[in-house]
Amino acid sequence: MRIRTLTRPDGSAAAPEAKDTAAVRPQHTPARRSSRPSRRFRPNGGPGRFALFAAPGLLAYLALVLVPIGMTAGYSLTNKNPFNPPTRWVGLSNLTSLFSDDDFLKALQNTVVITVIVTLVTNAGGLAIALLLDRRGWLYNALRSVFFVPVVLSAVVVSVIWQAILVDDGLLNSMLRQLGVSHPPGWLSDPSLALYTVSWVIAWQGLGFCVVIYLAGLQGIPQELHEAAAIDGCGPLMRFRHVTWPMLAPAVTINTVMSLIGGFKAYDQIQVLTNGGPGPGTTSTLAFQVIQTAFNGNHVGYASAMAVAMLILVATVSVIALGWLQKREVSA
Amino acid sequence: MNRGGTRAWIRPVVALLAGLLFFLPIYLVLVNVFKDGSAIVSNPVGLPVPPTLDNIQSVLSRPDHLFWYGLVNSTEVTVISILVITAISAMLGHYLARSTGVLSKVIMVVLLCGLMVPPAVILTPITEVLRTLGLMSSVPGLVLAYVGYYMPFGVFVFAGFAKTIPRELEEAAAIDGAGAFRAFWQVVFPLMRPASASVVIFLGVWIWNDFLNPLIVLGPAAGTTVTVGIYRAIGEHQADFGSVFAFMFLATLPILVFYLAFQKQFVKGLTGGATKG
Repeated sequence: MRIRTLTRPDGSAAAPEAKDTAAVRPQHTPARRSSRPSRRFRPNGGPGRFALFAAPGLLAYLALVLVPIGMTAGYSLTNKNPFNPPTRWVGLSNLTSLFSDDDFLKALQNTVVITVIVTLVTNAGGLAIALLLDRRGWLYNALRSVFFVPVVLSAVVVSVIWQAILVDDGLLNSMLRQLGVSHPPGWLSDPSLALYTVSWVIAWQGLGFCVVIYLAGLQGIPQELHEAAAIDGCGPLMRFRHVTWPMLAPAVTINTVMSLIGGFKAYDQIQVLTNGGPGPGTTSTLAFQVIQTAFNGNHVGYASAMAVAMLILVATVSVIALGWLQKREVSA
Repeated sequence: MNRGGTRAWIRPVVALLAGLLFFLPIYLVLVNVFKDGSAIVSNPVGLPVPPTLDNIQSVLSRPDHLFWYGLVNSTEVTVISILVITAISAMLGHYLARSTGVLSKVIMVVLLCGLMVPPAVILTPITEVLRTLGLMSSVPGLVLAYVGYYMPFGVFVFAGFAKTIPRELEEAAAIDGAGAFRAFWQVVFPLMRPASASVVIFLGVWIWNDFLNPLIVLGPAAGTTVTVGIYRAIGEHQADFGSVFAFMFLATLPILVFYLAFQKQFVKGLTGGATKG
C-alpha cells in the first residue's frame, strides 16, 4: 500500500519536492504511475523539525567546538595574556616566530617521533597478536580480553603503573640489579631514553585497540580465498602476502589513522610520567606545549598560534594518510 | 591449519606467554594493592600472602575525602554527559541520515572534522565560553564541554545506523498520528539500540577516564574527578605505591565492571564499521 497524501502535524499538506525523484526512493517501493502528482512522506519536512531535531546538537557543537576554533585563530593574531593587558594585534608574527622557537620545534619533533613509534608498534604488534589469537577456544577469547583491558583504563592509570615499574629504583631496575646489572638505565630520567619510554607506554595502551580491529578484519576474510591459495600451492608466507595482507587494508587504514590522531593528542602520559622532562622539553609534545604556554605561562596568544599550527598539521596528516591508505585499499 | 598436530602446542603456548607478559604491569597493581608497604618493597612480584585491606581502607577514609568527592563528580559528569549526548546525537544523526539536502551533507562533513580536533587546541577558548555562560568550575560546565566535543562521534554512529532502519516504520507511525518527536522516540530510537549501546559504552570509558578537561575546567576550586584525584594522590606520596595503587584500583573498578558487563557490545561497536570499510 502506498501513501498518497499525508498531512503534517500542523494540518498543512506536505508539499511535493522537486528533489523527490525515484532516485531517492527506496528500491523496494515500486513507483506506480498515477494521474495525480505523487506526494511522498518526508521525514525531514519543515523548519520545525530542524529546530527540534538538529538544533540542540548543532548549537552545542557550534558553541563549544567551532566558536573555540575561531577564537583560537583570532587569539593567535594577538599577544593576549590575561595577566598582562592590554591585548594588542600582532598579525602573523606569532606564527612566524614559531619557526625559530626551539621549544616548539622540539615539541614538534617529539610529537612526530612518538606518533611514528606508536603507529608502527601498535600496528605491527597488533597484527602479530591478532594472527596469533585468530583461533576459536576459551584460551584465545580470554587472551583477547586481556589485551583489551588497557584500552579501557585511563591514560593516567596506565602512566602511574608504568611509572612504578620504570622509575630509577622502580620494579624493573630492582629486578635488573638482582640479575647483576650494576647500573641499570634511567628509563625516565635519562634524556636520551625518556622519549622512547613514553612512546612505549602509549603504544602498550593502544595495542589492544589494534588487536581487536585486526581480529575483526581477519575474521572477515572468506575461508575460500585461503583454500584457493593453498590449492594453487601457496605456503603460509605467500598466503599472508597475497591474501591476508591485501584483505586487511581497511583495518590498516583505521588503525593507522587512529594511531596518528592519538599520537598528536598525547598529553596525559607526558604530564604524569615526565612532566615534559627530564631536562628542558625533552619529552614535551605539541599538546603539552600548548597547555603549558596557555595555562602556566599565560601567553594565550602565542599558545593559540601553536594550536593553529597543530590543527593544520593534524588535518594535513590525516587527509594525506586517509587518501593514501584508501587508494591502497582500492588497488589491493 | 596444523598438519598432523605435531606442532599444535606451539600457538597456545606462545599466545599464553605473550598474554602473561603483556598483563604483567596490571598484575603488579592487583597484587600490591593488598600488601603493606614493606612487603611491596621487599617482594613486589609475589602474591599478597596474607592479603591486607589497609591500603584500600586508607584511601576510603582519607580526611580530605579525595576519593569520595571524585567518585561523586565522576559519576555525575559521566552519567549526565552520556544521557545528553546520546539523546541529542541520536536525533541529529537520524535527521542528517534522512535528509537529502546539500546542507545536511555539509553539516556532516563539518562534524566529522570535529573528530580530529585535539582537545588541547580548543581548551583555552572553552574556558572563556564557559566563563561567559557562568559555568566555569562547575559540573554542568564540564558536561557542556563534553557534549560539544563528543557530539560528532555520536552523530557519526547514529547516522550510520539510521540508514539500516526502514523508512516505512516512520511512515506508519506518522499515519497512526504520531508527531515527528513521538515517532522518533517511540519507534526509531528503540530500534537503534545497538548504536546507542556502542555510543554509551565508548562515551562512558572516554569521559570517565578523561584527565585534561576536568583538570582545567573543574579547576582546583570545584574538586576533582577520580582521574584527577589519582594525579593529586601521586603528587602527595610519591613513594607510597600501596595507597596510590589502591586509589587507582578503586577508581578503575566502576568503569571496568561497566566494560565487562557490556564487553560483547563494546567489541561489536568497535568493529561494526571496521571490516566493511
